[in-house]
Amino acid sequence: MNKRIITLFLTTFIVLILIVGCSNKDREMDANASSEAFNANRDFKEILKEAKGETVSFYGWGGDEDRNKWLNKTVAPILKKEYDITLDVVGMDIDDILAKLSGEKQAGLKKGSIDMIWINGENFYSAKENDLLFGPFLEQLPNFEKYIDNEDEEVNSDFGFSIDGYEAPYSKAQLVFINDSSVTKETPKNAKELMKYCKENKGKVTYAAPPDFTGSAFIRTLIYDIVGHEQFLDMKADKKIVKEKIEPALEYLRELNKYLWNEGKTFPATSGEVKNMFGDGELVMTMSYSPYSVATEIEKGVYKDTVRTFLFDKGTVGNTNYIAIAKNSSNKAAAIVAINEIISAKVQTTQFEELKELAVVSYDKLNDEEKKRFDSIKIGQGVLPQDELLSKRLPEMPANIVPIIEEIWIEEVVGK
Amino acid sequence: MNKKTPYILIIPIVLLGVLFIFGVVNGIVQSLGYIPAFGLKSITLDYYISILKNPIFLDSLKLSLQISIVSSILAIILGTILTAALVYTNHTEGRVIQVIKLAILVPYTIVALFLISILSQNGLMARAFYKLGWISSQGEFPLLLYSKNNFGIILGYVWKEVPFVAYFSLSLMNSVNKTLGEASENLGASKLKSFFYITLPLSMPAIRKAFLIILTFSFGAYDLPFLIGATLPKALPVQAHIQYIHPDLRHRPYAMALNGLILLITWIMAFVYYLVTKKKRIKGEINEKY
Amino acid sequence: MKSINSHSLLKFLLYITLFIILVPVLILILWTFASRWPWPKLLPEVYSFRSIKEVLSPHANAFSTLFSSIFLSLTVAVLSAIVGTMTARALVLYDFVGKRVIDLLSIAPILVPGTVFAMGIHIVFIKMSLSDTLLGVIIVHLIYTLPYSINIMKDLTDSIGKEMELQAYVLGASPLKSFRFITLPLLIPGLMSSISMAYIISFSQYFITLLIGGGNVKTFSVLMVPFIAKGDRTLSSAYGLIFIVSTLLIFVLIDRVFKGLSFKTRKEEI
Repeated sequence: MNKRIITLFLTTFIVLILIVGCSNKDREMDANASSEAFNANRDFKEILKEAKGETVSFYGWGGDEDRNKWLNKTVAPILKKEYDITLDVVGMDIDDILAKLSGEKQAGLKKGSIDMIWINGENFYSAKENDLLFGPFLEQLPNFEKYIDNEDEEVNSDFGFSIDGYEAPYSKAQLVFINDSSVTKETPKNAKELMKYCKENKGKVTYAAPPDFTGSAFIRTLIYDIVGHEQFLDMKADKKIVKEKIEPALEYLRELNKYLWNEGKTFPATSGEVKNMFGDGELVMTMSYSPYSVATEIEKGVYKDTVRTFLFDKGTVGNTNYIAIAKNSSNKAAAIVAINEIISAKVQTTQFEELKELAVVSYDKLNDEEKKRFDSIKIGQGVLPQDELLSKRLPEMPANIVPIIEEIWIEEVVGK
Repeated sequence: MNKKTPYILIIPIVLLGVLFIFGVVNGIVQSLGYIPAFGLKSITLDYYISILKNPIFLDSLKLSLQISIVSSILAIILGTILTAALVYTNHTEGRVIQVIKLAILVPYTIVALFLISILSQNGLMARAFYKLGWISSQGEFPLLLYSKNNFGIILGYVWKEVPFVAYFSLSLMNSVNKTLGEASENLGASKLKSFFYITLPLSMPAIRKAFLIILTFSFGAYDLPFLIGATLPKALPVQAHIQYIHPDLRHRPYAMALNGLILLITWIMAFVYYLVTKKKRIKGEINEKY
Repeated sequence: MKSINSHSLLKFLLYITLFIILVPVLILILWTFASRWPWPKLLPEVYSFRSIKEVLSPHANAFSTLFSSIFLSLTVAVLSAIVGTMTARALVLYDFVGKRVIDLLSIAPILVPGTVFAMGIHIVFIKMSLSDTLLGVIIVHLIYTLPYSINIMKDLTDSIGKEMELQAYVLGASPLKSFRFITLPLLIPGLMSSISMAYIISFSQYFITLLIGGGNVKTFSVLMVPFIAKGDRTLSSAYGLIFIVSTLLIFVLIDRVFKGLSFKTRKEEI
């Protein structure tokens, strides 16, 4: 009996030593890995040649069937036809992508299976900080020069952090509010009107609890409306400072709780659930980070055709989605070519047409034909025109302040 | 028989077991703050300490224990009855078993969809009550999901685990009943007596193991408590999941440490279970002797 | 009289259970064809074939993924039953050094949170070049299915005992032969539940498949989970229905194969 326990301990000990030993070796592997780097800073024709015949993988959230369809049926054929590149779309949540990349980094894997990554905000910041991304490559893309406005703040920084050429814009998103004109006539124009609206429709408004992406953005939009947005752009990521600055908004949110679904004692965990509750008539209002989602939902028969989109007068938070390349990607050339094509006017126009996602190309940089094509797209029912969205668009907070606010919300708002 | 036989038989499990231990130890090392990929290179208990110091941890622990213990006890009792029902009504194969298996194979996320469709304030039950005139608005229907009493989560676990317990212990109880239960009935024991004195005790190994499996599973799984639990307090695995999806990668050790604590508590539960069942087993042996 | 009463009571309980299991599945069928089902309607208001169109469209890869996923899980299930039977025999019928360790190992994977194991094994597998490969996924799935297979087989092996096999052996049959003709037929119900259980466990694995399989090994769960997470009830229901129905069909298949097998064994005995 005792002998067995001793053997067990010994084996565990040996295993531990083995593992620590292995990990020490990795560091050497890591050091070697960085020496043979891909050179993005050369003639694009050369990159095109290297990319020919390759298969490039694109990892990103797989829960949007329309986007999957667009990538597979519109983008992939273009890449195949024009560059002989095969696009392999893989659905994976960003936290799992980063878990995979960090595991690979730790094990010293030089050639991973992830090439392109759909990413933004805090995840980009953290991935870049931890050396998981390849770059800079943005400036090397011919279509960046050709179609994208490099003066645009969102092209240079993502959630307040400098991009430094490590990711390319993919599509623009913006928080919008949604209600049904046949149920409630008013569309609140600011936080104060929202409070009144919630009082009139007691128990029929709620939002998803952070860290849900949309719920979190809704809270930030309210904070902006109450305490203004400029001060956050260079705020120190310190819980005490942030809390002090947003105190009036916290006060507002606690007051709002009284009129929310189940009196703000509990919140749905996902924005999908909030959307479903709105669709069923349990709520009178919902919100979405896809500004044209109402049009697609009406088309699918999920929403009634009296549902419409609205914004606050001061605006709502908006952000850009980006594509980055993994540091250990084994097809960097093909990834660069594919990204270059995705930011072209042609592909961006199809994205706007098929997915109703705001394009990242600058309208002013399009030629007449491209402009005509762009203007001819019907945006659908119940949504706002692009210029209204863009004129009421507020920049996102720095990435490292977002989790602090989410933490404060849990402590100071839920059930209070 | 040949002395080498057992060693040949265990070759595959030993190989897989070594891999398993490697994986777990590597995971635990990460929870101690050793993730060189993020520049975290010192082994420390700080992550554990800071979690244990947070008062939220205790609330979460209590909640998770409550969910797993209540749901598992309910499921094991109902599941054993279901097993007996299957064995004694001679439904040990065929369509009935396929239905039982159906519940086992439905993913937990789909179970959440069921619960929301049926039991939420906007679900079919509330709608039926409204049609019958028992309530006049959604808000009057009791809040069964997202509530602090965790009714919905427990019900979801019971829905899936009762069939699991039945399926897991069915083949043993059936074979015990066929060989010994029916024999004792032939010798004149009543059905009820033969069940409680012969069939049930001899089926206990499977039932006990099923209990341990569902107890630890419902303690460590996050889907149901995340989707239909209250915003506060959050179950322990939900906390761990939220730490895992925290965008700052240097936060990962918190997620791993929370999982490490779940692991530790699970092992404590398993150990207590082992002690309790060991006592019972010894008692059983003594009873048999006299 | 009394036993008839308890019998009908058990039957009644059984039918209630079956009812409670089947009703939610009905809702899944309704949602597959519904696009709007507002309060206070007891049946959907607007029906559509959106989910069917989406699932059947070639770009969704639903069915090709389904078939490769079935193949993967069947492989895992059969391997798991074999290793499970071997381990169970060793544990029940023999004494050997390290028996307690193996006994502990046979339940341990259930007692470890998925994330701890997944994140750790990922790094081990990258070093062994098993990450992003089918073999790697089969191995991790096996680690998760084995506790169930071993325990189902262990209880059964225990209840059958060694005597019968031993008798045949004493009477002159080789150990392998006596296992094949005496023990195996008795193990068949256990093997069936072991394979079914392992299939379910393997087919529903999400996180570990994602991490170890990368994008290279695509399974149906990996395809389905994002739609459920998003809360699209129509698509979730359609995928959920395919998940359930395909698995039930596999179970019917397993059932048939084993019925054929036990029949064949009986014939050979004669």
